[in-house]
Amino acid sequence: MGEFINFLQNNLADFWTYTGLYNASVGHIIMILIGIVFIYLAVAKEFEPMLLIPIGFGMLIGNIPFNMEAGLKVGIYEEGSVLNILYQGVTSGWYPPLIFLGIGAMTDFSALISNPKLMLIGAAAQFGIFGAYMIALALGFDPMQAGAIGIIGGADGPTAIFLSSKLAPNLMGAIAVSAYSYMALVPVIQPPIMRLLTTKKERLIRMKAPRAVSHTEKVMFPIVGLLLTCFLVPSGLPLLGMLFFGNLLKESGVTRRLAETARGPLIDTITILLGLTVGASTQASEFLTIDSILIFGLGALSFVIATASGVIFVKLFNLVLPKDNQINPLIGNAGVSAVPDSARISQTVGLEYDPGNYLLMHAMGPNVAGVIGSAVAAGILLGFLL
Amino acid sequence: MKMQLPGLFLGLALLAALSSCGKQKPNSKLLLNEVLVTNESNYQDDYGQHSAWIEVFNKSYTSADLAGWLIKCSCTPGDTTTYFIPKGDVLTLVKPRQHTLFWADAAPRRGTFHTNFTLQADKAIWIGLFDSGQALMDEVTIPAGALKANQSYARTSDASQQWEVKDDSADKYVTPSTNNRTIDSNPKKDKFSEHDPVGVGMAISAMSVVFMGLLLLFVCFNAIGKASVRSRTKHKKKSLQALDERKSAEAAAAAQAAIVPDEVMAAITLALHEAKGHGHDAERAILTIRPTEGSAWCDKRQNLREVPQRK
Repeated sequence: MGEFINFLQNNLADFWTYTGLYNASVGHIIMILIGIVFIYLAVAKEFEPMLLIPIGFGMLIGNIPFNMEAGLKVGIYEEGSVLNILYQGVTSGWYPPLIFLGIGAMTDFSALISNPKLMLIGAAAQFGIFGAYMIALALGFDPMQAGAIGIIGGADGPTAIFLSSKLAPNLMGAIAVSAYSYMALVPVIQPPIMRLLTTKKERLIRMKAPRAVSHTEKVMFPIVGLLLTCFLVPSGLPLLGMLFFGNLLKESGVTRRLAETARGPLIDTITILLGLTVGASTQASEFLTIDSILIFGLGALSFVIATASGVIFVKLFNLVLPKDNQINPLIGNAGVSAVPDSARISQTVGLEYDPGNYLLMHAMGPNVAGVIGSAVAAGILLGFLL
Repeated sequence: MKMQLPGLFLGLALLAALSSCGKQKPNSKLLLNEVLVTNESNYQDDYGQHSAWIEVFNKSYTSADLAGWLIKCSCTPGDTTTYFIPKGDVLTLVKPRQHTLFWADAAPRRGTFHTNFTLQADKAIWIGLFDSGQALMDEVTIPAGALKANQSYARTSDASQQWEVKDDSADKYVTPSTNNRTIDSNPKKDKFSEHDPVGVGMAISAMSVVFMGLLLLFVCFNAIGKASVRSRTKHKKKSLQALDERKSAEAAAAAQAAIVPDEVMAAITLALHEAKGHGHDAERAILTIRPTEGSAWCDKRQNLREVPQRK
């Protein structure tokens, strides 16, 4: 009997070593708290709920402590576990192109086609990527890591995941969480910079209404866009190819069902899987490092640089534009590819100064150009460094 | 359109010409990569024997199967031995950028990777790799007496065009079943680390490419937009012109038909009547609208409804 009780005690003691309570560390608790903050921001403040809810909950899933040496195959970093299988879409980089397919199928490029000079704002804002790249180098990251960190400044989560999975897989969790966090915080980060860099007179500039765009132009855009950008930067093909393909599905007018699937069920499914697994990849043992903190700092800086360079570029551009065709610098921030959040910021800030000045349609131009620009920039970094 | 078609063909021809400017590379994924003829103390096979070996490399980023391929060897002209690589062995599937070694020991019963010929060091050796359709995919000729014991004849690096003798020195060592040149660094990364430690070069070059890409799109869509607006204006002008033409045609037709409204006709008749002296003092007509009597329940007019029409 005594032996049996002894057996039970040993069994329970053994079981205790498997529990989360036994294996919990301060790191796990910190990460769980961060996850809860993400969920709070999404629910209470409605900051990018589509992203922050899956990421936040993923953080909870990824930071449930367990005995890592028991071979339970439950952790995201344990080969063969369910989470690991789902995470392969991130590590092998096939979630981001599918997200881009959906983005292409839901994006209307009319604003950009009607006023193509706005594309240049999308290019200028990519300086955030390379500004952050330079700072990351100065902080001691190697060029590949610096490139992966810099892409946060493109404000494009899928692109950041895609590039970091290739250039610096060990930093991918921190980069992805940082990119998505700052995308959610666009309404907080951008307006002060926009106000700081513009005069009251500039904020009141009214832009010409965009012209109507023909169906032919809309169909031509994805085809010409793909050929021009990918002939120049073939390494951007996975992202740009899917983006323009999705857009052709939308604009051709004859593949409505495919376009609806791409911008509906498909992108939703991938967003759920991507958000959840990226969140779960922030396992405290892998995530809580000095590098992660630096990456968060650099991410914020890259957003600031990207916003500022977009606004400053518009101001400089206005110097060469005719007086009756000036651009409101408040749409410069939209050059980062946080679609459509940064365009909405342009609209909101513009309306504060002139309640009749609707900038949303104009800001959508640089905003979607930013998507193209960041994918091109990712392709360049990949081509230069890999 | 007649003017545009030659331009289009010219553009395509130019593109084709530009594409063919680069030197054409061998089409095969699988290449002969390294050969060791006299194996005294080099790599051993799975029987513990030191035999000559031939290394095949899959230069592509997809797997390639050697099953059914042929390795032909000729040490004397007109005397070619052919080894048929057996089908049905999963090991013949060469993974992307990986190597496979064949032992030239004239002992094919020892397994798939043991050929039915040997290599003779004192003679020039020709080795050919043929696909299952007997098409030559790659070949190499090792000059007579070029190799001493434990030396190999190999491409300078995997799949490169140049061959050299690997004499097992520090920088030219024999590499059975592995890369001909060990990649122990990322040259691109090292280049950036060395020449661009601050990142300015990267920023300038990358931003130039980003701007160039979007500038190309801008130029292209500026032109397309202008052409579209021009074509639409032209189309609009044409339709306005057609509308005007239609209107004037209608007016002409009406004039031709000389349709006179009834009121005009009545006024003219009255005027004629007066002119002929039939008229007298002016009379006035009064139109009176009276409210209906009774409630709506008994008013017949209230109960009249339009007959529903199926559309």
